[in-house]
Amino acid sequence: MFSQQLINGLTIGMIYALIALGYTMVYGILKFVNFAHGDIYMFGSFIGLVLLEKFNASLITAFVVSAVLTAMLGVIIERVAYRPLRMADRIVPLISALGVSIFLSSLAQKLWGTGTHTYPTSFGSKTYTFGNLIFSQIQVLILLLSLALMAGLHFFVTKTKIGTAMRATSMSIPNASLMGINTDRMISLAFAIGSALAAIAGIMISIYYNAVYPTMGYMAGINAFTAAVLGGIGSIPGAMLGGILLGLIENFSGAYISTQYQSVISFSILIILLLIKPTGILGKKETNKV
Amino acid sequence: MKKKLSLVALLVLMVVVSACGNQGGSQEDTILIGVSGPISGTQAQYGEAFKNGAELAAKEINDAGGIDGKMVKIVMEDDKGEPNEAANVANKFATNKDILAVVGHFNSSATLAAAPIYNRNELVHISPASSAPNVTEAGEYTYRVITTDAFQAAYLAEWSKELGYEKVALIYEQSDFGLGLLDVYQSAAPEHGIEVVAAESYLPGSNEFSTILTKVKDKDPDAIFIGGFYNEAALIASQAKRLNLSVDYIGVDSLYSQALLELGGEAVEGFKLIGFFYPGGSNERANAFHEAYVEAYGKEPDTYAAYAYDATSILIEAIKQNGANREGVKEFLDQMEDFPGATGLLSFDENGDVQTEPQKLTVKDGAFVPYE
Repeated sequence: MFSQQLINGLTIGMIYALIALGYTMVYGILKFVNFAHGDIYMFGSFIGLVLLEKFNASLITAFVVSAVLTAMLGVIIERVAYRPLRMADRIVPLISALGVSIFLSSLAQKLWGTGTHTYPTSFGSKTYTFGNLIFSQIQVLILLLSLALMAGLHFFVTKTKIGTAMRATSMSIPNASLMGINTDRMISLAFAIGSALAAIAGIMISIYYNAVYPTMGYMAGINAFTAAVLGGIGSIPGAMLGGILLGLIENFSGAYISTQYQSVISFSILIILLLIKPTGILGKKETNKV
Repeated sequence: MKKKLSLVALLVLMVVVSACGNQGGSQEDTILIGVSGPISGTQAQYGEAFKNGAELAAKEINDAGGIDGKMVKIVMEDDKGEPNEAANVANKFATNKDILAVVGHFNSSATLAAAPIYNRNELVHISPASSAPNVTEAGEYTYRVITTDAFQAAYLAEWSKELGYEKVALIYEQSDFGLGLLDVYQSAAPEHGIEVVAAESYLPGSNEFSTILTKVKDKDPDAIFIGGFYNEAALIASQAKRLNLSVDYIGVDSLYSQALLELGGEAVEGFKLIGFFYPGGSNERANAFHEAYVEAYGKEPDTYAAYAYDATSILIEAIKQNGANREGVKEFLDQMEDFPGATGLLSFDENGDVQTEPQKLTVKDGAFVPYE
């Protein structure tokens, strides 16, 4: 049972990690929690569904097109709902984000109905058995694609010029703009990348469960946000680590202690960890500059 | 300029919103029935079923000329599936003297929160879906057309014995509803020689069951009792299949829905459940309702649409018999016997709980059929 639970936990942890990256990149730059991110993930999954169902797209096309469209959605949301409020008190964009979240999930219910849809692809249901261990094709895809995306993002942020500009923006917006960096563009880019990753996570999870529904972003959003905090919000490797850890903690506490207290246990661990290390596992200490 | 534009946009939005809210004003020639369920939020699909079922019942009487020439109008309010919202809705309905009776609410916790308000204001409400055992004692103006879980779970325990199950695993929703089923089944199991080998819970609306199922697989049960709704049940069955876990599944009427078949596909083949609404059998009202529903909405009705339809039909009949007043509605319900509904022949006992006979159903070749 142990190794089976390990795989289950890793699979879901990878998904948390991909969503958590969106929270953490935005927070890293704007110090703002985009509560609509879970719904963006849901939208990405629905766009994939429409492409597969209505346009008979191949799975790869669905991934790519949905990622691009969802990235645009993320950028538009930032432009319309957050940017005009950037100079306002911190609490104001937060309320705006909650509004966007309600708007998106209600819009999805209007567009696609309130029920659950199946995901029209035959990919992923094949299983491989090694002794007691059962792997499905989609689990393999989730593990590999997530790792590849995370590695790619890490390379982009640390090794490229734009990535460096993005990191500079996250350190200080005024200083970065003094250096000639177009900070608005960097913020849009953070939203675009985060939303695209969420869309890919959304499609993969919908294939995994063979289900997509308008309120799927709610729980996933909360869990991914928790993962981002656990790993140290604002830190990209932290979000990856936090996601995977949270997936494993959830699974093992469910498996060996009690499913009834599954969430209680993972949140208790989060609280204890934050008491010991308030910035999260890989979070940077924020020094108060005078 | 920009400011002006957004101001105009805001004004337009306000007009649209207020136009939406402006339904159901007091009119001499209409009869108002309140309906409330979760129209938004994670359980919106059940609220939609309520709305459709209730409106279909109203449409039927209106097409036949209404009640003494007066049209029946449904006033829909969203309780979001939350107790505090349900209490607000109840207050709103109770203070509107034109509302003669209410169909609501969905969640047992919402019904329990709203019931004191209805009872204080002597306004009848019939819940189409709140099956928690403690709704029985909610008050003399509280009725329901769904049988209590105490009855359903005990019935299921007996059926499990007939099917020869010795080890049963319970997977239940963490809510008043799921816990109620768990309690009754767990206490009824020993006297039927059934061992409950696992009892695992999940949060409503979750989609991750592999942890639970991997755990259950280790206990090697004969059957899994799903104490939840059809969406989760379908996901449980398909995820179990992927883990090579092949067992029987049993459940209550909450699993009856076309969505279970569509989402579950092959994985839900052989599911055994108790049903009250079952079209295609000898209940003509059920068949007629099914046909009218498909025609009106272009999809299959689930069990909650049928319950809401029955609750509304009963209220319409009450108003027809005893006139358009709140007290008359209650009098009718108290002496009603064997009302022919889509979910069977319905009567209420002294607690307002419905008395009716369930049917054993199973899934065969992608359809619900009577179990033989």
